[in-house]
Order: sequence, then C-alpha cells, then structure tokens
Amino acid sequence: MDKSDPRTGLQGIVQRYAGRPGALLGILEEAQQADEHKYLSEEALRQIADMTDTPLSRVYSVATFYSFFNLKPQGKHAIVVCRGTACHTRGSLALLLEAANRLGFPEFREDEEPSFTTEDRMFTVRTVACFGQCALAPVVAVDGVIYSHMNTARLLSILETLRKGVRK
Amino acid sequence: MKPIKSMADLEAAKARGLSKLVPATTRISVGMGTCGIGNGADLLFAALEKAAAKAAGKNGMAPVLKKVGCFGFCAAEPLLTLAVPGKPVLLFTKADAKDAAAFVEAASDPKALDKLAKKADGKIETWDFRTSVLRFGEGFPEVRSWNQIPFFEGQEKVVLRDAGIIDPEDVEEYLGAGGYGALAKAVLSMKPADVILEVDRAGLRGRGGAGFPTARKWKMMADRPGPEKWVVCNADEGDPGAYMNRNEIESDPHALVEGMILGAYAMGANKGFVYVRAEYPLAVDRLRKALDDARALGFLGKNILGTDFSFDLEIVMGAGAFVCGEETALTSSAEGKAGRPVPRPPFPAEKGFKGLPTNINNVETWCNVPAIVSKGGAWFAGIGLPKSTGTKVFSLVGKVNNTGLVELPLGTKLEKMVYGMGGGAGMNKAIRAVQSGGPSGGCIPADKFDATIDYESLASIGAIMGSGGMVVMDQDNCMVDVARYFVSFTAAESCGKCAPCREGLSQMLRILTDVSKGTATYADLDELERLARTIRDSALCGLGQTAANPVLTTLKYFREEYERHIRDKRCDAGTCEQLFCALCENSCPMHMNIPGYLALLKEGRLEEAYELTLRDNPLPGTIGRICHFHCSMRCRRETLDDPVQQGEIHRYLADTVRKMGREQAVWKRLADEKAKPTGKKVAIVGSGPAGLAAAFYLVRLGHEVTIYEDKEKAGGILRYGIPAYRLPKDELDHELQLFSKLGIKFVFRTRVGRDIALADLAKKADAVLVCVGAEGDKALAIPGEDLQGVHPGYEYLDLHAAKKAPKTGRRVLVIGGGNVAIDAARTLYRMDKDVVVAYRRTRADMPANRAEIEGAEEEGIRFRFMLAPQEILGDGKGRVRAVRFEIMKAGPIDRSGRPTPVSTGHFEDIPCDDVIVAVGEKVDSGDFVKDGIKAAKDGRILANPFTLKTDLPNVWATGDAVTGPATAAEAMGDAKRVAREMDKALTGEDRFTTLFRDFHYNMEVPVEPEGSRKNRPRHLPPDQRVGNFIEINLGYDGDQAISEARRCLRCDVRPDARSPWR
Repeated sequence: MDKSDPRTGLQGIVQRYAGRPGALLGILEEAQQADEHKYLSEEALRQIADMTDTPLSRVYSVATFYSFFNLKPQGKHAIVVCRGTACHTRGSLALLLEAANRLGFPEFREDEEPSFTTEDRMFTVRTVACFGQCALAPVVAVDGVIYSHMNTARLLSILETLRKGVRK
Repeated sequence: MKPIKSMADLEAAKARGLSKLVPATTRISVGMGTCGIGNGADLLFAALEKAAAKAAGKNGMAPVLKKVGCFGFCAAEPLLTLAVPGKPVLLFTKADAKDAAAFVEAASDPKALDKLAKKADGKIETWDFRTSVLRFGEGFPEVRSWNQIPFFEGQEKVVLRDAGIIDPEDVEEYLGAGGYGALAKAVLSMKPADVILEVDRAGLRGRGGAGFPTARKWKMMADRPGPEKWVVCNADEGDPGAYMNRNEIESDPHALVEGMILGAYAMGANKGFVYVRAEYPLAVDRLRKALDDARALGFLGKNILGTDFSFDLEIVMGAGAFVCGEETALTSSAEGKAGRPVPRPPFPAEKGFKGLPTNINNVETWCNVPAIVSKGGAWFAGIGLPKSTGTKVFSLVGKVNNTGLVELPLGTKLEKMVYGMGGGAGMNKAIRAVQSGGPSGGCIPADKFDATIDYESLASIGAIMGSGGMVVMDQDNCMVDVARYFVSFTAAESCGKCAPCREGLSQMLRILTDVSKGTATYADLDELERLARTIRDSALCGLGQTAANPVLTTLKYFREEYERHIRDKRCDAGTCEQLFCALCENSCPMHMNIPGYLALLKEGRLEEAYELTLRDNPLPGTIGRICHFHCSMRCRRETLDDPVQQGEIHRYLADTVRKMGREQAVWKRLADEKAKPTGKKVAIVGSGPAGLAAAFYLVRLGHEVTIYEDKEKAGGILRYGIPAYRLPKDELDHELQLFSKLGIKFVFRTRVGRDIALADLAKKADAVLVCVGAEGDKALAIPGEDLQGVHPGYEYLDLHAAKKAPKTGRRVLVIGGGNVAIDAARTLYRMDKDVVVAYRRTRADMPANRAEIEGAEEEGIRFRFMLAPQEILGDGKGRVRAVRFEIMKAGPIDRSGRPTPVSTGHFEDIPCDDVIVAVGEKVDSGDFVKDGIKAAKDGRILANPFTLKTDLPNVWATGDAVTGPATAAEAMGDAKRVAREMDKALTGEDRFTTLFRDFHYNMEVPVEPEGSRKNRPRHLPPDQRVGNFIEINLGYDGDQAISEARRCLRCDVRPDARSPWR
C-alpha cells in the first residue's frame, strides 16, 4: 500500500469515511482492496484502530465477523466458487473440490477451512455465499470475471491458461 | 444537469428523456445486467458498436446503441431490443455478436428489418411504465406480443416496470418513463400522512419476506418525533439462490431512490442509507451514479424541488454476513460493529441506527412506492389477492429450463410458475420440489404445486415467501442434502449470540451429516425434529427462528428419503457421496460395480471382469443389449465430452467370455459356492427380469426356489416383448442355462391365480414373491377399438414372439411413442409392411429410447407427430379402414415436462389395414386381489416401500407389479432388494453381502483424462434388415472395448467411497 497516496493511503481512506454510516466496514474494505495481497495485516488493523479511535478488539471483531475480509495474504489469482443454492443444486461442490484437487489440496473440506492459497501465492480458492448469478449456475469468478454454466472441462482449461500465464 | 425546481422543469426533463426512449433514429438496446454480461452481452455490444461505426462511415445512418438493464429472461440472454421509429420494439433472445451487422443493417433498411423481424421472439407495441404509458407503434403482425412468450405469459411488471427498457445510468430516461413524477406529486401536493394513507390503501406488505404491512411500519416511524430520523434500504440480499434485488438496483436504481425519498417525506426522515452487498459491484456503481444524478437534479439534498423538505442518501457496503439481513443486525453493522441482532422491542422505529428512529424496508418494497403514489393505492390493491396485494419478483432458478426473474401477481399458482413460465425441466428429469425462501424457507413437493404463491398459502405448507428465491429441484437433488446444505449455511452464518441458534444448528448439522453418511439412526430423526422445533420457538432473531424450516419441510414431505439413507444406506439422487462408490454405480438400479469391471477389463482380466458383472447382474449379456443405461445418464465423463458406454462393455464381456468358452468355469464357481440349504421354499410368480434376478440371489443363499410361469419359456418381456433384432433369443437362452445350473426350478404353462390360487401357493411355500410385470395394454378408449385389425401393442409383440401373430395387411398404423410402439413398428417393417407411427406429441417428447427412434428412422419408418386419435373408422364390414386424428399443436408445458398437445379443431384420416395401439401398459393384478393382495386403482400391488412386503403374511412383491411400467434394470434392482429382505425374513440374518466378493485392481486415477469420444459399435446396415430379425448392434471389438474402458475417470477412487454391496 502506498501510504503517501492520499486516495489509497490509510489516512486518506479513514478521512473519507469519517462520520458516515458504515464507516468501519468501508474503511476495511478499501484498505483490503488497496493492499497488494488483498488482505488486512495486523499492522493495518492496528493503524485503523488508532486512526479511527476504535478499540483494536472491535476492529478485530469486525474483521473476523464478515466473510469478505481476509486476514491472510491472498494469491495472485482469485478463484471464487459460488456456493449459492442454485449453484449447489447444479454441482458447484464438485467444482470446488476439483479446483482444490488440481491446486494441490486434495483433502480440502469446505466446512473446515473457508479458503486456501497455494504456497507460491499464485492461486487462492475460496467460496462466496451467492453471487446472485443464479440463472447462470453454476458460476465461478476468476479474478473478478464471472464465468457462467461452469463445468469441469472449462474450469480445468481456465486453470491451465492462468498457469501458463504465470510461467511466462 | 440543472436542478429541477418546478413542474415545468420536470416536464422539460421528461420530454428530453422521452426523445431518448423513442428516438427519431433507430435504437438498439442490449440488456447489460451482470447476467447479460456473464452470457456475452458485452461482446455483443462491442460488435454492435463496431458495426454501427462502419455503417456511419458508409451512409451516415447509425442506430443509437444503449446499455439497458435486464428484462428478466436470464436463460435467453443476451437480450436485445430493436426500436425502429413508428414500429413496435422487437425483442430478440440469445442475440449473437455474429449477427451485429444484421441488427445494424435492419436499423436503416426496411427490407432487412422485415427479414430480421422473423427471427424476433416477441414485440412490444405499448409499454406501461405504470408511471406513464409509451406507444412505440404497431406492425409486425406475424410476431407475437412479448407477453405471449411462455416465460412472460402471466407476468405483470410493476417493480420491474423500467427494467430492460431504460438506460439505468441515464436519469433522463427514468424521467422520460414518468420517474420522479410521484415525488413531485407528493412533495408539491400531498401531506406526508396522505402518502402513508395511499400505501395503506395499496395493502403493500414487506417484500423482504415476512410480509409486515408497510403502512403500519411507516406510521410507527412517522409518529416518532426527533430532529434526526433515518430511512434505510435493506439490499443485503444474502439469501443464496435469490438475486431479484441485485437486478432491481442494476436495472432501475432511481426507482429505489425515488421510493426512499417518498418514504422519507412520508415519515419525516432526513437521512438515509442503502445497505448493499459488496458482492454486487455493478449494483453499487449504478446506485452511486443514480445518487449523484438525483442530487444534481435536486431530488436529494436540501430543499427538494424548492420545498422545505430535505433528505440525503448514502451507500453502506456490507461485507458478507447473512445475518445482516436482519434489521437490528443491519443497523449494528452500519454502526461499525459485528452484525449481531438485538431483541425487539424496541423496534427500529423507536430505537434504530445510532439509537435514532429508523425505518428499514427491502429494495422491492421501496421500488413499489413510486408506482403506488403515482397510480394510487386502489390500483395496486386491485392486483393480486385481497390480503396479498400487488406483485412479487421471484428468481426462478435451479433445474428449470427458463431461468430468470419472474414478476407475477400474488395468488399465481406454483404450477404456473414452474411449468408455465419456467418451462419445466424437460422430460428426462422429473421435478421433485421447489425451495422457496432460501435458508429460511421450505421445500415444497411437486404434488403441492397447485398451491398459490402468497404469504398465507406458502406459510400454510411450511415454506415462506421470503425474499423471492425459488430454486427448482429435480430427481438428482437429494432432499437430505438440501436440508444439510441450508443448515450448514445458517450454522456458519449464525452470529453466535443466542444459544439455540449457535448450538442447536450445529447439532442439527451433525445429525444431518450423519444421515448423509448413512450413520444416523431413527432416534436421530426424532432428535432432529425436536431440535428444529426448539430452535424455531426460542431463537433470538429471524435467522434462527426460520433456520429449521428446510429441515421441517423436508422431514414432512420427504421422510422416506431420510429413512432410505438411514435404513438402506442409499442416496438415490446420487448426492451423498459417502453412500456410493461412483455415480454410475449409484444410478444403476442393480448397483453394478461399473468402475470395477472397467478397471479389470483395462488390465486384460476378462474372466474376472465377467465374474464381477455376473455377481451384480445375472443377465449381463442380455441387459447389456437392451438396458436403458441409467449409468450413462450420470457419468461424470459427460462434463468433459460424452458418457462412458458402460453397458456396451458388460455386453462385450459376456459375449467375449462366452466365445472363449470360459463362462462355464465362472458359473461353476457360483454353483459351488451356494450356501447350505436353508430348507426354506420360495415360490416366485413370473419369470421376467425381476423374477429371474430374485431367484438368482435367493437360490444362491440356499433357498429352494421355484418359478411359476404362465408361458412356455422363461424371460417374460425379454423373450416375449423385446424383438429378436434387439435381443437374440439365443443369447437369452444361453444366459438362462446358469439358472438351471444353480438349481432353480421352473414350472411353465402355469398361471398363478388361474391354475393355482395364490393362497395355495402361500400355504405350500415359506415365502412367495409376486413379480408379474406390467403386461396389460392400455386402451385408447375411443370408438372403433373393437374393430377387426386393431391390435394391442404388447399383445401383438407377445404373439409375434410366440409365432402366433395375426396376419396384417400391407399398411399398418402404429399409435404411440414408447418403446412398445417402436418395437412393433420395427417388427412389422421387417415383415415388409408399410409402417407409419402416429404420436400425439413431438418427436422430442417420445418416451422411447433415442437409439430406437433413430434406428426406426434409418430404416425408413415414417413418423407423424401431433396427431391425437379420435376414432377408428370401419369399412362397414367390421374391419378397420382408417384412423381419424385431430391435429394438435404444442401448448403449455405440463407436469411431464413436455408441451401439452392442444386441440386445433382440424382433423385428418390416415387410411390403413391394421392398427397397433401401443399407448402404455398397466399391471394386471386382478387375480391376486381376489386372494387378498391390496392394489392401487391402476392395478399396482401395494407393498412396503422398504421391505417390499405385501399385507399378506408371507407374500412379497417387486418389479413393475409394484412400481408400474419401468425398465428391466429397475425391476431387477428392486428384485435384488426384495431378495435381501426375504432372506432376512426367512433366516433372521442379513447374509446378502456374502454373495459378492472383492476384486483387487488398479486404484489410480488417470492423471489426464484418457481416450476420445464414444467408440461406436458396428451396426447392421439398414438395407440388410428387411425380411430377417438379425441383431442390429454387433457390439464392440476388443480394441474398442478397452479404449472405451480407459475413458472412465475413476470416480470410485476416493477414501470415502462405499462398496455397492456391503
């Protein structure tokens, strides 16, 4: 994070939200977005607590309560498998397990760990409660782009493309 | 943008907007909601831009291109509308970027337009924005109106009045559609209390799901004094499977904004925010732009429209917590805390955001308000039912063909939504249920689809209307898994504040997980139900109070499915992975260990592969020829290319081992390992697939088995129904030798019920099994069926197989669309008859196997579709001369998932010498009913679903006799179950698993999927099929079989895979 940049620097973010409803959520969201690894480091949480004059315990409680916040560094490519009802009935669990398997997490269990990142920090796989793309189920977002009517073959080819891109 | 300060300003802005909505040049709009973009609308738009630029360069005639919101028909995206001045707007579904040039050309070329219009799915002549009406023009008589498209028929767009028509990012278009007119009317001419009165008259109820009367909630807030009061929009649409609110904001953000300003005016609020999910970035962007524009025009901020009313709105982005949809949790969240609810009262109207009076409504509630203020509450109350007024938007998704957003008047039947608008799920998969209301809602079984959609009706069947998620489930969805899915969601989303929800849900999840693993007990089910009721009655907030609904409704309507998991350790839907070895195995009614024999074949261990198949299926060569191949329908390989042809392979194994002369050794092994005699006598009635399969297992368990058969030989439908070109009788005879070798006794030409009474048989034997099949032909019930030359289909095949078929004339008309009809047609074709098959639906709707229909066509058999027989016409001498049909047309989708044939009033006579009536079969159980067996009206014998035992003390029944007409494999699968149950009853032990043995083979998953598409077995060319009954399918050769076996993805290689027989 470029702390000197008034727009993305923490100070700037905090100032923009001062006194507004939902300020702490907005600050944490922007701070996470501005971070190179899309996560909230302990340092960032401490600074936000200081700057907003909020107890660190409360900042931490908010950061851990909401699924949107990452407390661990994220991979370069985010693969987000939708686990909404329509996607579930159309087989999204199998897609999630396939992605986990391909990226070296054959033992991955959704109910134990919500996400994982490969050791080389190239890929993070996580789930979302619902993208609201139910008519296109099952959907998987890869780096923010939503792919509809996903199946194993397409998922594998996308992973392959990303992996090749990484090698270059 | 200049601020609007007077009605004159507003009218001027509206005129500018109208000139955009009905421009002087052609306007092409593309639905660019998130769904549209996900389906390629962005590519389409880019192609249109390119084509338009080219056209502009050529002749200066370029259409206006617009990005609009979503018109709702998500399954048919991208949606494109073409508005040529003076003409109706044309609606195109699944518009392709390839056609961009054609759309642009049609904009300026009337001829091209007429040509293109033929491809349009519908047209819009007049559009009712509710806040105004717009006439586009008339014309294109051959194109149906948009609301005649089945998906839209019966819909009523009030909330979605602008969606897909206007550019959501252009406030002038919203003004052009009459937007902000309600606001002007209210602040300039109505008292705040009058606005509330109008909402009260409308009878509007909260669209977030609970249905609290909106006006009452507003009144509570209006009555609170205070300098700072808040209105809030709950757009935290966390309900998985629902996305109405996303689309409402993306397509028409100003409707929400205007609704909230009206609410603020009515309740005296001066501040507000929209709490929206971070997962909806496009909605947030469009809403942000809408707020900026509304502010610039003076609809937000100080002194709105020059009055002393001031109000402003902000956006709060949620961060992924379902519980924040609960209003007190939402306000906590907006205060910068974890979103945990607090007990009510105090209600938010008294003490809400930051302790100030606050009113919170759902997106859709707010969006209704401008229309109500504009047209009056009485108008709104006229839509829907007296207690559930207006419309509701539902996201209709899951296993249904037409997915999308449907807005329907409350009181519409579920059936209309699922089959009419949704178009059903096709004929191959049966719809089982609809899940309404997400994690707080319930599963409504298909037999309750005549219920209406309104607050009270849905609550009375245990579901809730909820925010509007409607997820359709079919036969591949396990109801235990659905309950488990929702409880795992709510357990994870529980904020943890109150114990019933925090602890109760995780205990419910534990039990449901046990059920899905097959480790639960019946006592667990009682515990589950008790927990569910306790949580419902004692949780702090709506999340917990409703979280048990999916469990309570599935327990109520699908209890048998829970019991099947507990008792039989089976998940028939194929969802609970720990209950099967592979999906193909689970889909196979006989639970054949398919990956096992494929692996053995790959290793060249043919004899063992054959032995494995034989233990699972006593007729592998026979069934491999005629099976419906349930296995291929759930093969995971299909997601890569095509399913593995598992059945073709076990046929290959049987044929090859027979050719090698090695089958005798395997048979001997089975005969040698027969269990010690139990001294129990079992009498089986019927030697069809079910009777044979049951005998095979019961005799190997040491029982003395006698099969009683009416006919001269064994096999039932295999011998007397299925023609020899599909199943050579030599093959069947060969496989039947094993049955005699095992010591099964056959008593032929003896019909139980006629020659021996069932009661006598039951006295003589320790156990009796009735498996008589469904061999009675259904009649057409039309005049003339008693004429000479009219033959029931199954009876004809039966007589033909016994070489006693009546002679027919040259022209034979077959009526029906199932396998019996096709078998009869192809049989007659082989006897050089001129055959026509007449069916009352379309080709795609025929229930016969695809391969059989294609084969018949290949042979030159003619098909006539959409013909419903009315009368069989005689020649005056008692013989048939023709059949009179009514010509039908495709109507709405019915519960079988197919279009209903609808009368046209036009008739056609098809002359013929003979008629074969093959319109279905039924169970003939009359003889047994006399002896005290209970049967359903249609003849099916009633037996316990788990033990398959009838009400008589030692009589069981299985196969078609119980289920009605089904496939041979299904009958044999049921026979395996009944064999196990009968053996348990006879010996008091469960010895069934001893009949199987482990085979050890390679357990490695191929690193990369191997093999290419289907290996096609050789077929006898059509011109060699007349005058003989030679088998058509010549089967795989060795290379093909191995190459096909290599295509298996080995779904059975999992640590938690369960052996098919255990």
